[in-house]
Amino acid sequence: MSHSSSSATHQTLIGVGALVVGGVLAWGAMSLPAGIGYSGVGPAVLPWFVAAALLLCGALLIWQAQSGGFRDLEQGSGAARGDWPALAWVSAGILANAALLTTIGFVLSCALCFTLAVRGLRLSEGRAAGGARQTAVDAVTGMLIAAPAFWLFTKVLAISLPGLTATGWL
Amino acid sequence: MGDILTLLAGGFATAATPVNLMWAFIGCALGTAIGVLPGLGPAVTVAMLLPITAQVEPTASMIFFAGIYYGAMYGGSTTSILLNTPGETGTMVTALEGFKMAKSGRAGAALATSAIGSFVAGTIATVLVTLFAPIVAEHAVKLGPPEYFCLMLLAFTTVSAVLGESVLRGMSALVLGIGMGLVGIDQISGAARYTGGIPEFFDGLEVVLIAVGLFAVGETLYTALYEGRTTTQMNTLGKVHMTRGEWRRSWPAWLRGTAIGFPFGTIPAGGSEIPTFVSYATERKLSKHPGEFGTTGAIEGVAGPEAANNAAVTATLVPLLTLGIPTSVTAAILLSALQNYGINAGPQLFQTSSGLVWALIASLYIGNVMLLVLNLPLVGLWVKLLKIPRPQLYAGILIFATVGVYGMRQSAFDLYLMYAVGLLGVLMRRFDFPTAPVIVGLILGPLAEAQMRNALSIGEGNWSVFVERPMSAFLLAVTLAVLVLPRLAALRRRRSAS
Repeated sequence: MSHSSSSATHQTLIGVGALVVGGVLAWGAMSLPAGIGYSGVGPAVLPWFVAAALLLCGALLIWQAQSGGFRDLEQGSGAARGDWPALAWVSAGILANAALLTTIGFVLSCALCFTLAVRGLRLSEGRAAGGARQTAVDAVTGMLIAAPAFWLFTKVLAISLPGLTATGWL
Repeated sequence: MGDILTLLAGGFATAATPVNLMWAFIGCALGTAIGVLPGLGPAVTVAMLLPITAQVEPTASMIFFAGIYYGAMYGGSTTSILLNTPGETGTMVTALEGFKMAKSGRAGAALATSAIGSFVAGTIATVLVTLFAPIVAEHAVKLGPPEYFCLMLLAFTTVSAVLGESVLRGMSALVLGIGMGLVGIDQISGAARYTGGIPEFFDGLEVVLIAVGLFAVGETLYTALYEGRTTTQMNTLGKVHMTRGEWRRSWPAWLRGTAIGFPFGTIPAGGSEIPTFVSYATERKLSKHPGEFGTTGAIEGVAGPEAANNAAVTATLVPLLTLGIPTSVTAAILLSALQNYGINAGPQLFQTSSGLVWALIASLYIGNVMLLVLNLPLVGLWVKLLKIPRPQLYAGILIFATVGVYGMRQSAFDLYLMYAVGLLGVLMRRFDFPTAPVIVGLILGPLAEAQMRNALSIGEGNWSVFVERPMSAFLLAVTLAVLVLPRLAALRRRRSAS
């Protein structure tokens, strides 16, 4: 089984990604005002330069990918193939956190994120994800980490984080 | 000279107040902890804690952040020696000999030489910073925008071309970082760039968000995706103790390591990887026990690189404080912490914020002593952290990532963005793109742009301003040499080989 990071297709896609970002930057640079004033250099100069450099990098990356692969590549560590279900669980945790943080408050939302992420990471190690009991333990662990962090920020440092209540405790 | 002592004494008076001592201690302890833990480095930790700059006064928070930076280097070696997975990039070399030593039952001696070596090197390097930084600052005042721009160009080049395996991938990462730095309102003309009408983009991309996304979230996603089946084995920790013979072999290596590390830290050569490798090679060549290298583990191979690492880390403060140019990712984030306070790092810093600078320098002396105590007698305590199971550790990191990113701007939008940057981090790690250039490009990019436009104003729009001034022309030549010379050397090697 070949390592996914040395696949020519994947490497080409990386190069294409760089081209796309470069293209977007160039497209955005077109609408920027050209330079006037003492320097003769306006806000559009660096964007044009960055866009051009990224397009060049993208083209060279594609060329390398097509002619024997990225040079001096050190293969990414770990397994040759990705564990996508595990990634999905962790992603679900982060995205759920982003969606719910302001509604259910920092502590509960982070505990949910923790529970989902731990499940994914445990699956990735080839272990059982655990039943209701394990999930409950995870949720409590998540709260035990999130709550002190929340109090430290809201009570000690006076930096506002969203709570379920306005007390600053939950 | 007398001046420096007076200023330093003033610094000690500020740094030794109970509140600042507390910040230094928490910083050192936290730094050691995250250094020991795999998955978190000093850069991302300082990034996550940037929101505190809204509440804590500058001197205290800089002392705190510097403690984290320092502490992580001490803690990182513990992980390298016991687990063979370097906690930090700078302690990669320590893992080579340190792990071998630990395997043959000498973990205690390896830990002792790295902690004491770090202390010796850190203290000597702090003395050098005390002596040289004011001199550099004095001369740096004479530099104008063209020179600054060329210096930043040099920093960009070394960070992206010297580090890492491939210039192309390094440059791609750098350009991407500079591109990210473009988002937001242009400082000079007030034009909105790449905002797409999204209000969150008008203030630009937060450094915290990019650093935390790339390192903490990216690392967690990468672990779930690829590292699940990778198992690590932990060496047992013996008594932390060195024999007389080991002392005799260690101290010359410490001094040599310091001498190698310090200069590398002061020039924009990107962090502490190169000096640790150079030190390792030197020790291997000079050792009277070459048979131990790579077999049972040679103590010089731990002592030298560890000293080089700490000396280099300390020395990065010279360009950071005197020129405002960061030479490592953590230094870049420290720079953005200063920016949050509206403090411009640069030669004027020694005049305008003299109190802060000297308190920071004094706290380095204090921090080194604290770290020696934290890491020698208490090392057993930190080793317990390695027992935290991986799923809980990484899932916990996500909680702290949320605190840092949301706490900075109170925007849930940033959390989605953080996830996207995390995916980018996975791709970059998988395909061997260095991540440091992204952060340096993001932070230094806007500064370089401002210097470039100021320089061109001086030159009335003429680009020749960069070559007409001798200092700036010299810096351009050095930049070019850094880019071209290694290529030519490689070409020649290939030609002579065929």
